[in-house]
Amino acid sequence: MDQNNSLPPYAQGLASPQGAMTPGIPIFSPMMPYGTGLTPQPIQNTNSLSILEEQQRQQQQQQQQQQQQQQQQQQQQQQAAVAAVQQSTSQQATQGPSGQTPQLFHSQTLTTAPLPGTTPLYPSPMTPMTPITPATPASESSGIVPQLQNIVSTVNLGCKLDLKTIALRARNAEYNPKRFAAVIMRIREPRTTALIFSSGKMVCTGAKSEEQSRLAARKYARVVQKLGFPAKFLDFKIQNMVGSCDVKFPIRLEGLVLTHQQFSSYEPELFPGLIYRMIKPRIVLLIFVSGKVVLTGAKVRAEIYEAFENIYPILKGFRKTT
Amino acid sequence: MPGRGSCPDCGSAELVEDSHYSQNQLVCSDCGCVVTEGVLTTTFSDEGNLREVTYSRSTGENEQVSRSQQRGLRRVRDLCRVLQLPPTFEDTAVAYYQQAYQHAGIRTARLQKKEVLVGCCVLITCRQRNWPLTMGTICTLLYADLDVFSGTYMQIVKLLGLDVPSLCLVDLVKTYCSSFKLFEASPSVPAKYVEDKEKMLSRTLQLVELADETWLVTGRHPLPVITAATFLAWQSLRPSDRLTCSLARFCKLANVDLPYPASSRLQELLAVLLRMAEQLAWLQVLKLDKRSVVKHIGDLLQHRHMLVRKAFRDGTAEMDPGEKELQGQGQEQGPEEEDVGSSSLELPVVKRPASPALLLPPCMLKPPKRVCPTPPVSTVTGDEDISDSEIEQYLRTPQEVRDFQKAQAARQAAQSVPNPP
Repeated sequence: MDQNNSLPPYAQGLASPQGAMTPGIPIFSPMMPYGTGLTPQPIQNTNSLSILEEQQRQQQQQQQQQQQQQQQQQQQQQQAAVAAVQQSTSQQATQGPSGQTPQLFHSQTLTTAPLPGTTPLYPSPMTPMTPITPATPASESSGIVPQLQNIVSTVNLGCKLDLKTIALRARNAEYNPKRFAAVIMRIREPRTTALIFSSGKMVCTGAKSEEQSRLAARKYARVVQKLGFPAKFLDFKIQNMVGSCDVKFPIRLEGLVLTHQQFSSYEPELFPGLIYRMIKPRIVLLIFVSGKVVLTGAKVRAEIYEAFENIYPILKGFRKTT
Repeated sequence: MPGRGSCPDCGSAELVEDSHYSQNQLVCSDCGCVVTEGVLTTTFSDEGNLREVTYSRSTGENEQVSRSQQRGLRRVRDLCRVLQLPPTFEDTAVAYYQQAYQHAGIRTARLQKKEVLVGCCVLITCRQRNWPLTMGTICTLLYADLDVFSGTYMQIVKLLGLDVPSLCLVDLVKTYCSSFKLFEASPSVPAKYVEDKEKMLSRTLQLVELADETWLVTGRHPLPVITAATFLAWQSLRPSDRLTCSLARFCKLANVDLPYPASSRLQELLAVLLRMAEQLAWLQVLKLDKRSVVKHIGDLLQHRHMLVRKAFRDGTAEMDPGEKELQGQGQEQGPEEEDVGSSSLELPVVKRPASPALLLPPCMLKPPKRVCPTPPVSTVTGDEDISDSEIEQYLRTPQEVRDFQKAQAARQAAQSVPNPP
């Protein structure tokens, strides 16, 4: 299901002051299409509550006049969703610095606060916001965004293909049946490689985003079509996504394997990195001593972001040398 | 069984119940005459015995230990004996092998893999009992590739759900150092090269600990670090005679293989020691280099904790923006300070200790090989129109197709005539 949001996911979140309004719980839902405002944003520190307060007051003044009617209608719908959020934020309220908090997390404020749904920038959320990662406390998020490096997708062209013909009549194809039973085709934009099998199934690798992968797969299908085969574009599916990022501090891998041994595998005799198999979400991370982290095994972008947000506090714990 | 009745032939009373295939018969044990022969009517349970039996059940292969498994178990025991492991290890390793054999993926694996599996079971047993055995040793003994070994090892750990602790560095140092043939004089080892085992061991341990603290061990194969540390320890115990001996010659004397990364680990360790030496007052004036610092390793190790703290600042700490700029110039600060000092005072200035270098793994200190620019945020939606001209560029023109076919035919012809006259 492609949900093509015209706004690039991250830039939007960072620019918006709405980010300051969300309680400091990283809220991820793999059901949410990426590209809505719920992708991770750097949550502001609770120390800067005064700034929060100011911003909220300004916004309240602007919005209260416009949106009071809308709120009354939506309040009932959102009550259930808000209740969960309220509970956690009211807990926060008691912990916050004295003299400031009670007003900030008043229920009234929350219903004005948008739940990103009421602002013109964001589509309204369909599902209630339930925290998927309850283990991480309401600490600041890392502010680091994993970059996607590779997307592997498959598509069914829906007809049998003659690989010899394709290899003969296409410029960008190579076919060596003794080595591998598929045609290897490459296009320049987006820079990708495809394996085209005689059954009509195709694997597309090398794209840097989901949309690019889809566009590339369509181009390959078009090439095959022009070569005279009745190619269709059935069951396009992203099979794997690989991302990488840098936490910019060295990590004591020996320590990490001791404390998280049921998830980690560190064999310096075989491989210099630590292999961390996260259960939720089901992602494999390669963690290196230089602080570089590679995340793989995701079917959707949100899983990569969620996995990184889960691992970052663990890695920070190994920041100080003994 | 004492029969009921007597044999009609010989009259003996020794009638035995015997079955011919699945038919029960009463047979005389004296003359072999068949007295009764089954029953004419069979029940369902009787007929069960007459039904088809699958081959695997009839051979009993699932109850028995197969021949290749027996061979494997024997190999496991042999390997444990060759490595001179304690007897309890043998039983554990055998148990792991049997456990692995329960899985169909292992039962149907190639013989090469089963051979390597023997080594994996022994290695896991040793790791769990803190017996320092490296994968390299096992691979050498089994004549196996490290790649094949690693694949099987990772698979079996996952399959059996085992918890394998890391290799214990201290134990590895002790066993590895003891294998160096330098503790007794021999025709190949002159007297000046012979060293006391305990002294060398303790100094090597301290050097390895220092390497671990300064990020030289994490992520790297442990053995080359230990080789480099042993070499330095040996040299420093009698530098006057041993400074001329190179690392390669040292390993040859000691009858130990020189691992390839050992020389670069040696350089890294010497660099760390030089930085530490810059913090000691009486060593600053000596202007040490990589060779002369070996003479003072004893002193440096004695005060290593304090020196490491002074010589390096924490590379993991949060950096202010101001410090970030300094980090880039960190390497040049030493000589800069010197120049400033000398020009302002116009006196022979004692070299001030260089500003602390960052305590980081070497891979973080090297400049990045290539700068990866962040890719621009692409506005591709995946559903754009694809122009025909773009696709045409990937298709051959008919002329090209003909040329290509001609070239292929020519190549085929050339290949089919291997020895042209």
